[in-house]
Amino acid sequence: MVIRSSLQITLSCLKVSAGESWKVGTLGTWIQTREMSRVKRRLTHPFAEYLKKTRTKSHEGLTQDNQSFLSEVVRDKYVGQSFPPPEAEPLPLIRVTGSPLKGVPAKAVEWTPRTFRAGLIARNIGVYPLYNKDGRKVMTTLLQVLDNHVIKYISPEEYLQRVGGSKYKGKYPRGVLVVGADGADPRLFTKEYCSLFGPSGVLPKKALSRFLVSPGSELPPGTPLFANHFRVGDYVDVAGKTRDWGFQGVVKRFGFKGSPASHGTTKNHRRGGTIGSGRERARVMPGQKMPGHMGSEHRVHRGIQILRINTKYNVIYVRSTGIPGITNSYVRIFDTLIPTKFPKTAPPFPTYFPEDGVELEEDLYHESLHRFDMPSIDFN
Amino acid sequence: MANSSGKITKQIACIFGRNCFMPQKSQTIGKYSTSVFPKAETTTYDQPTKERTSLPDYRFVYPEFLPDPNPEFRNKLREKLERLDMLRRRAKISIPEFYVGSILAITVADPNSPSKNNRFVGICIDRIGCGLRASCILRNIVDGHGVEIKYELYNPLLKRIEVLRLEKRLDSTLYYLRDALPQYSTFSFDMEPEPRIEGATIPINPLQVELKPRPWYARWERANLMGVKDVNSHITEKMLKQAAIHEKPWEKFDLMKQYRSTIPEDEQVEIFSEVESQLKEQEVTWQNARRQSKFSRKPIKV
Repeated sequence: MVIRSSLQITLSCLKVSAGESWKVGTLGTWIQTREMSRVKRRLTHPFAEYLKKTRTKSHEGLTQDNQSFLSEVVRDKYVGQSFPPPEAEPLPLIRVTGSPLKGVPAKAVEWTPRTFRAGLIARNIGVYPLYNKDGRKVMTTLLQVLDNHVIKYISPEEYLQRVGGSKYKGKYPRGVLVVGADGADPRLFTKEYCSLFGPSGVLPKKALSRFLVSPGSELPPGTPLFANHFRVGDYVDVAGKTRDWGFQGVVKRFGFKGSPASHGTTKNHRRGGTIGSGRERARVMPGQKMPGHMGSEHRVHRGIQILRINTKYNVIYVRSTGIPGITNSYVRIFDTLIPTKFPKTAPPFPTYFPEDGVELEEDLYHESLHRFDMPSIDFN
Repeated sequence: MANSSGKITKQIACIFGRNCFMPQKSQTIGKYSTSVFPKAETTTYDQPTKERTSLPDYRFVYPEFLPDPNPEFRNKLREKLERLDMLRRRAKISIPEFYVGSILAITVADPNSPSKNNRFVGICIDRIGCGLRASCILRNIVDGHGVEIKYELYNPLLKRIEVLRLEKRLDSTLYYLRDALPQYSTFSFDMEPEPRIEGATIPINPLQVELKPRPWYARWERANLMGVKDVNSHITEKMLKQAAIHEKPWEKFDLMKQYRSTIPEDEQVEIFSEVESQLKEQEVTWQNARRQSKFSRKPIKV
């Protein structure tokens, strides 16, 4: 039995486009592939242009003094940042971190429902039930926003140059915000990977991701992102890599009915049956559903409502149990693309900035939820 | 008879594999199944009070505070947040100490009933789930029909949980009551709470039930039940031989199996020391409320 630790490192760069119209398969952009698609479903090796991320940790023979000196150097370099973050470390409710946008003149870009903001990288920490005011159970998934910081901003012009000719050139300009989550000891990573975090001045992150944002949503490198970036009641899309089921048969993989368990059926209980399409075709059609690898694919779960936010531990509770991936895996959360679920009022734009000295409420609930500190439900 | 917070579990036949005798418990309470180990000493109600304040013993009184031991689902922060929510709920309703074999009366809010409340009395045949998903199944026979209702202990529709008789039985689950004679599952709805000494050791009822003739809900001859009288008198010789073949006498020596299904003691101490002070406070509050209600014959109000 494989014991997956909670510090499992998933893929180094989750380069995914927010909108699926950006289908650029060759440059390492993942596309949500479905059954009949001829695009390769998954890549089991890192993309060519990525930096080498982790280094082989060989026994360097450092003395105790030298090791403690290195720790001191790291601590001095990343003042105020800690690693590895203990799993249940609360954030101060009264945040006295000067807003990084202080002194920067506010831009005159108004938020519209079609504006794309930054997203967050979170860890799926599990599922537990909450209850409505009428007593019905709502299973919610907890997504812990781990130490998110903006690493880099790539302007729309620069991004178009990299991506190369797009039919949407200039029409829907999208910049790229590279966001990192889960800071860790720089000694775990290579020098090249650590250099990515120089401009932002944050600890090197275990997870990196891109979010395509519209002009006006850009943020300076080093900006912290919190769970309050979203509000209770907002709808979000959650993207992630589904759990790996391994090599699976057609019954589990495609929901085939198989054959009867008895009544004379010989060695054919969970097989696919016929694969031909007739004499005329005289071949097996491409895309024929057969046993094969299942899972470990990129999927986006659309239009999920946020029911509760815990500002102390930066945890978002979403109304869903179908979040792609297993417990303790990374997911990306961003504003939903479903037009009927766009927010009616402006969310924190470009992001939520904690005001100095203002105390936050620890738990923010959706109005339909029954809070556990309320008395029992009574229909009288 | 169903209500908005409970489900009826019907007698289900043949859903188990050929080598399985009964449904597996989804959550172990952190101790060996009594059917495998020698039965505990029986005690009476007059035993002197035994202090049960040591931390490891909390796993019997508050079993749902221990998380699912499966490492795939473990996360310390989620477990901590869940425990905080559980404590908040426990401040609003008394979830008393009870065991499989205790007789409970649970009142739930029911919008469809004239009094807007629904009270059910039954024997607890199983305790399932960890954290906020903790539930118990109560069984009773109503108008000649066996009824089982599963109650989620942390559902806000639950208004009151009373323990009418606090005791344990010889087995960790009592699903065999479905195949036992009806008198063993019948409890009056007018049953009064029986007197007991607070803090005394929980008595173990050495009752052995008589089963009805087969067909049964499960293969009780393979379950090593202590609380059933003369299981072998109902089965054929072939079934007896098959039961011997399917026995797993090595399981009680399987340390890894026990390790995988329980939370280690030091972790249990860590978990309970986190919630200990609040639980103790709540214990005192609910005890006082119970004493007052006994004196004034008024129902407990939150």
